[in-house]
Amino acid sequence: MGLILKNVSKSFGNKKVVDNISFTLDKPGVFGLLGTNGAGKTTTIRMLLGIITMDSGEITWNKEKVDRKRVNFGYLPEERGVYPKVKIYDQLMYFAQLKGMDKEKASKAIDNWAKKLKVSEYLQMTAEKLSKGNQQKIQFMTAIIHDPELVVLDEPFSGLDPVNTEIVKNIIIDLVKRGKYVIMSAHQMATIEEFCSDILILNKGKTVLQGNLKDIKNTYSDNRVIIDVDKEIDDLIDEEGLVIEHVNDNQYTVKINSSEQAHKLLANIIKKKIKVNKFEIMKPTLNDIFIEKVGE
Amino acid sequence: MHDIFTVMSFTMKDMLKRKSFIISTIIILVLIVVGFNVPNIISSFEGDGISEKILIVDQNDIFEGNLELLKNSDLGYDFIIENDNYEQIKEKIENNDIDSAIIIAKENNDIKMTYVVETVDITTIIPEDIMTSLNSLYTNIQINKLGLTLEQIEAITPNFLTELEQVSDEEAQGDVFVIMLISIVLFYAIYFCAYQVSSSITTEKTSKIIETLVTSTSPRNIVIGKTLGIGLVGLVQLILIVLTAYISAKTFIDPELLNQVLDMSNLTIYLGIITIIYFILGYGTYAFLYALTGSTVSKPEDIQQANAPVAILSMVGFYLSYFTMMNPTSNLNVFASLFPLSSPFCMPFRVMMGLSSPATVLLSIVILIITILVIAKVTIKIYSSAILNYGTKMSFKDILAIYKDKRK
Repeated sequence: MGLILKNVSKSFGNKKVVDNISFTLDKPGVFGLLGTNGAGKTTTIRMLLGIITMDSGEITWNKEKVDRKRVNFGYLPEERGVYPKVKIYDQLMYFAQLKGMDKEKASKAIDNWAKKLKVSEYLQMTAEKLSKGNQQKIQFMTAIIHDPELVVLDEPFSGLDPVNTEIVKNIIIDLVKRGKYVIMSAHQMATIEEFCSDILILNKGKTVLQGNLKDIKNTYSDNRVIIDVDKEIDDLIDEEGLVIEHVNDNQYTVKINSSEQAHKLLANIIKKKIKVNKFEIMKPTLNDIFIEKVGE
Repeated sequence: MHDIFTVMSFTMKDMLKRKSFIISTIIILVLIVVGFNVPNIISSFEGDGISEKILIVDQNDIFEGNLELLKNSDLGYDFIIENDNYEQIKEKIENNDIDSAIIIAKENNDIKMTYVVETVDITTIIPEDIMTSLNSLYTNIQINKLGLTLEQIEAITPNFLTELEQVSDEEAQGDVFVIMLISIVLFYAIYFCAYQVSSSITTEKTSKIIETLVTSTSPRNIVIGKTLGIGLVGLVQLILIVLTAYISAKTFIDPELLNQVLDMSNLTIYLGIITIIYFILGYGTYAFLYALTGSTVSKPEDIQQANAPVAILSMVGFYLSYFTMMNPTSNLNVFASLFPLSSPFCMPFRVMMGLSSPATVLLSIVILIITILVIAKVTIKIYSSAILNYGTKMSFKDILAIYKDKRK
């Protein structure tokens, strides 16, 4: 059960854009596909959905070849698009019917999702009159309106304000709760950390890191400590030979090589009778790992 | 099939709701109605039954008082015969008592005719029919003076009979004007409808909706559905135009005059069916070619450049058909009626002229269908790859590379 990509490769001319990548989604959840611009994410997604053919390898969904006839999938492409002169309701109905829904079911689904995404008032308007964020929510609706098993979201939050980001996040969480398989590509690492149990990082078409996000982070030692105090401690940090990464209103983020360094700094702060509001030793963020793996 | 129908009906609704389509259709229909009313409009400006008043002054009595005979002619002018001088004529024209005047006077051994009008433009000459009548009147006066017998007059008056014969068995019939009109209407209808396919595909590319679309249904369904949708709307538009023209002609044009200009007797149901079949097949050929070029561009400003090769092909097809119509029994015209790029414009003409047997028509249709299938196959293959190219316009080399890649 699930999605399997095995040794998939693709070249355009002499350039290999996806080089022998493999991954598996064997249970419902969100899988993070990461990489810099031009790393091969969109090509991987396009091969996965059968939009372009792969040169070699195998892609299966429940042991069957993935194509639009066999797999009920939904796709939010990176290249956003709507019919500018067509009413929102008409274009949603068009795509719902192409995905095999009858008019009655499609109409109910449009009303239902429009309420959830707070776009009901725009259904009778042409797309060109909508803001970019609202157009994106309409595209998101197009991807999920037919209740797909596999949902592929390429940069689902780009261009959304915090309120709309929260609305879309809640819907993705709800999709996972309902047993859907979601593949998500995003540049916001904090979002990926929030959602994804498994990730794959691509660099120039090659896999540079993949696996369970928690397991990956556990392989890294603690690398920073956050200390919130009520007076300046720059000199104490300096005495320990540590480097301040960021400071704001006496909340320090300090780079460390081990947790012992953080504990020693804490002991010195207490000895000076400085009040400590927050002390948190942290592992590297996904952003740190990403930059380490793909940063030139 | 369900998806083809869905794409087709969406495309049709989209086209029919477009303001540009509605406005252009209304303008065409209004122009047709106005066009057929031009004779009525002109006559209403000229005034009902009011003829042009022409004063004729015979200063030296050259016509010996016989000019009054002109008043009995059915030339449609109101002739006034008087002996006014130039100043009086000028005054009459300025007061709109007369429209123009012809002054006839002797000049040495010649007869000089001066045409006096209010303002001269480049088309101002003495009306030809008046000149002919004056000529004839003068000749008769002079012949009468010679005292010739009736036989002698008959002997010097030629009565040529003309007849046209050809040595081959093929006989062209029908009104060439009607046939050329049909051919031109067919060309423009096919050309503009097929062009819409290209424009529609480029719009989907530029609005970036295409990627969602190709994951919702196959490129084959998109191309076929879109082509059918635009074609049906075009066919309805064409029928509307032809019906409006037909009704306008019957309503506003004098039946006798209409029969003189357009011989409708050749417009049979068979020809109507043939014309519709060739519209559909011709449209299919060019629509798939335009779908191919439309899928290779991603910016609206590139579309004309990309479509140029197809536009040239259609021009070649049309002119091959149009110029060979002048000699419909030539081998080149037979070739044009079978060659798939020109046959949609040529074969209805040959059918109307009674030059093509049903077998030849069938052969031409089969060639067209095979051509459409081949072009559609190539187009769908290239479309499915080219539509995801958002970069610069693709070159012929790129298109060929995609086709070879897809054939693997």
